Formats: sequence, structure tokens, C-alpha cells
Amino acid sequence: MMLWAKTTTPWKGTATALIPYVLSAASVALALWGALVAERNGFAKLEFPLFLFAVASAIWYPGVGPAIVAVVLSSLAFDYWFTEPRHTLGVNGEDVPYLASFVLLSSMLTGFSVVRRRNERALFESRERLRVETAERKAREEEIRTLNAQLERRSGDLEAINEELEAFAYSVSHDLRTPLRHMVGFAELLQKSASAALDDKSRRYVATMLDAGNRMSQLIDDLLAFSRIGRAETRVTTVSLEQLVNEVVEEVRSDVASRNVAWTVGKLPLVQGDRSMLKLVLVNLVTNALKFTRPRERAEIEIGAFEDRQRGAVVFVKDNGVGFDMRYSNKLFRVFQRLHRTEEFEGTGIGLATVQRVVQRHGGTAWAEGAVNGGAKFFFSVPEAKR
Amino acid sequence: MDRLPRILIVEDDPRDVELTLTALDQYNLANEVVVVGDGEEALDYLRRQGKFMARANDNPVVVLLDLKLPKMDGLEVLGQIKGDEALRVIPVVVLTSSREERDMVASYKLGVNAYVVKPVDFHEFVNAVKELGVFWAVINESPPGSVRRA
Repeated sequence: MMLWAKTTTPWKGTATALIPYVLSAASVALALWGALVAERNGFAKLEFPLFLFAVASAIWYPGVGPAIVAVVLSSLAFDYWFTEPRHTLGVNGEDVPYLASFVLLSSMLTGFSVVRRRNERALFESRERLRVETAERKAREEEIRTLNAQLERRSGDLEAINEELEAFAYSVSHDLRTPLRHMVGFAELLQKSASAALDDKSRRYVATMLDAGNRMSQLIDDLLAFSRIGRAETRVTTVSLEQLVNEVVEEVRSDVASRNVAWTVGKLPLVQGDRSMLKLVLVNLVTNALKFTRPRERAEIEIGAFEDRQRGAVVFVKDNGVGFDMRYSNKLFRVFQRLHRTEEFEGTGIGLATVQRVVQRHGGTAWAEGAVNGGAKFFFSVPEAKR
Repeated sequence: MDRLPRILIVEDDPRDVELTLTALDQYNLANEVVVVGDGEEALDYLRRQGKFMARANDNPVVVLLDLKLPKMDGLEVLGQIKGDEALRVIPVVVLTSSREERDMVASYKLGVNAYVVKPVDFHEFVNAVKELGVFWAVINESPPGSVRRA
């Protein structure tokens, strides 16, 4: 990382930037001085290797720019001092190859160095990149490990919570029901043994106690059944909704034999889901439709389906019953939430919560449309069977 | 009343005992009942040990067993009875508050003869206990070695 920064950061200050050029000029000057001294002492033709050496050292240390300066300076010095006619920038015919070979050789040396430096730089950069990437990958791996550990911890927590919930449901099933049974049982015994001695008011009190106890028992049973749906495993198969709806309608028909009910069942698709759970959804919606159309002389219940590009198959159950205020549509599916008084319509308020829980477990959604006294239409989506 | 009790009730809650006896009383079965309060006592009774050392040799025609018991719970008692060569012929009916599937499955795996959830509604409760009593004490032919009908 440090080296990388050093190579990319431009050298600071003009003075600092000039140092390599001064060094390269100095090395050429040194070579010139050496060659002149050697010549005066009878050692001719030493200028060639000395200048090459100056160029090479300029390349080696200060870099490409200074090397080019060294090539130019040493070529000029070579021409001025060591080719005929001396002390001019002109060159005699016989010395041209001599000068040319020097210029060519020093240029080639510089050229090779440029290429080598470029390769070196590229190599260095890619090595740096690799190092950075490796470091990043390591950091990411570390992050993934941390996240994994977190996830594991969280799933462990969830498991513990789930177990706790199960224990809770179990204890509700066992322990809450027992005192309730005693209350109801002894109230019943009281009713039997003291009925003659009690006045109307007291008899009504006892009857109310019994009613309340039985209702609480119903609530407990419903709540347990609801919590079981959340815990039960789903067994997904291809389900014919048409068959299922016919089955459900057939089952409830006998309960409303005395009523005038007009059934309309449209074309229904094959879907992917847990048959018994989907049946529970349909039973809940259909019995609701029957319940809330009770004040109607002629109940009209329509069951149908359509395809929705985003949601898959959408099934609806429509009735002409008492309906509901759309303002409360979001409350409809909550546990124990009721929009009617118990005296009007019986029930614990668990049916639609069950519907939603099952539909959600199938990856779908449940929603409703309605108006006060204008009937209700309940929808749920479910994945269609692959064809 | 020198008749031997024919129904063993294993139940720790005196209120439950009272309700059960009241239900059985309506069919004159209450005086055929012996009640023990926990699992250990139930096994002592069946094996004629401890304070039941002196009781006569015959087995009850049915054991009505609650699951939630102090010390040794109902499922353990059931396991002991059905794992004992001498006791396994005795019909055992689990009579419990729990509608939990795992209790039911565990009971059947241990070889229970019937599993009855105590209804909250008193009429239903009386009916259930009555029918149990009548079925096991009157209709069903008990295995050899059981208390004879008087």
C-alpha cells in the first residue's frame, strides 16, 4: 500500500523534481571530464564507453526523462569534443558512423530501459492490485464469517424462542384448561344442587358463568389450533381447487339445508399447496360467507378464480351478506379481532387469522373488499401448479 | 362394602377426582373406584407393594390415568405398566386435559388402550367418564386375573 502511494504521488516541489536532471547532467559532465583527461594523457577513444556509462547510470537511477536528457547532452558533447572537426557541432564524413553508432546505441539503451521500466511498473502495479484484492477478499471473508456466526446465533435464538412458544402452547393446553374445567364443572354442580333455592337472578349468574367458561374453552382451543398451523409442516402437492371447493360446499350444505342459498362456482385452477391447509382456508371463508348472509332471504355465494401476473392464482369467495366497513379491512385478519358483536354473529375471531396464516405459509396474500350491508369479497393468492 | 374396587384412578387434583366421582356416581360406579394421587403410588398399588402390600391379588379392570402428575408423570407410569409382564394386560385409559398431539402419539406408542381428552363442558365430561366406566367395567371382557364383577 505504501509503495503504491509513493509511485502514484507526484514528487513534491520543483526543486525536488529537478534533482534527477541535475544528476544526469552531472554524470554526463563527469564522463566528459574523464574522457578529456584520458585523451590528454594519451588514452584515445575512451569517450564512447564513458558516455554510454553516463547514459546507463542516468537511466538506472533518476528515470526515463533524465536519461533522455543524458542521451541528448552526451551526444552533443560527443559531437563537440570528439568528432572532427573538433569544437564545432559539425561532423566530418568519416566520423559520421562513429557519432551515429553512439547516438543509436545510447538511444537503444534508453528505449530498452523505458520498456523495461514500463513492464516493471505494470508488474508492480498488478502485484499491488493483487495484494489489495487479496486483502479485500480476506476482509470480506472475515465479514462473511462474522455474518454467518451472527446468523447461526440468531437461528439458535429463534429455535429457543420457538421451543419456548411450544412449551407455552403446551402449558396453555394443559394447565389453563384444568381450572377452567373445574370452574365450569362446579358451576354446573351448583346449578344442579341449588337451582331450586336460587332466585331467577342468581340462576342467571350461574348460567353466565357457565357460558363464559365454555367460551373461554373455545378460545383456548382455537388459539391452540391456530398456533399449531404455524408449527405444522406443509406437505405440498398439486391440488385441484375445483375438487376441494366442491368437497367443502358439499360438507357445509347440510348445515344450511333450511336456508335459501344460491351457489355459483366458477372455473378453478390446479395449485401447489398443502391440501388439508387449503381446505381449512376454504372452509373458513365459505362458513363465514354463510354466517354473514344469515339475515338475507336468499344468500348468494360465488366462488371463483382468476390469474394474476404477479400473484399467481387468485381465488375469491364473494357473498351478499352484511359486509364490513373498509376502514377496518386491515383488522379483519388479526387474531381474535371481530367486527360484529357475539350476539349478532357467533365466533371467536380466529377464522380469518387462520386463513392468513395458511396463505402466508404458501407464499401468498389474503385480502378483502366489502361495504357495510353491501356484501364481502375475500381473496387469497396461491402458487399455480406448473403445467 | 366388601367389593374390591375395579377402577383405579390416578389423579392428583382433588377437584378433578371429585368431578370424576360425581360423574361415576350418577351410574353407581363411584364405589368401585380407588384413587391414588401420584404415579409412584399407582405402581405401588398395581404391584402390591408399600402401603398396598396387603391388598387382594386381582388387577383393576381399567386404570384411568392423568398425564400431569407429581413426581413420576403419567407417560412414565404408562411405560412402566406396559413394560411389566404382569401388568401389561391391564387396560389403561389416559384421561387428560391435553389435546397435544405429541402426548397422544407418545401414549399410543407406549401401548395405551384409549386416549380421552377431558371436555371442559361438564355434561360432555360426565358423558365421557360414564361411557368409559360403563365400557370398561361392564361391556368389556376383562383379562383373566381382573377383579370379578360382584
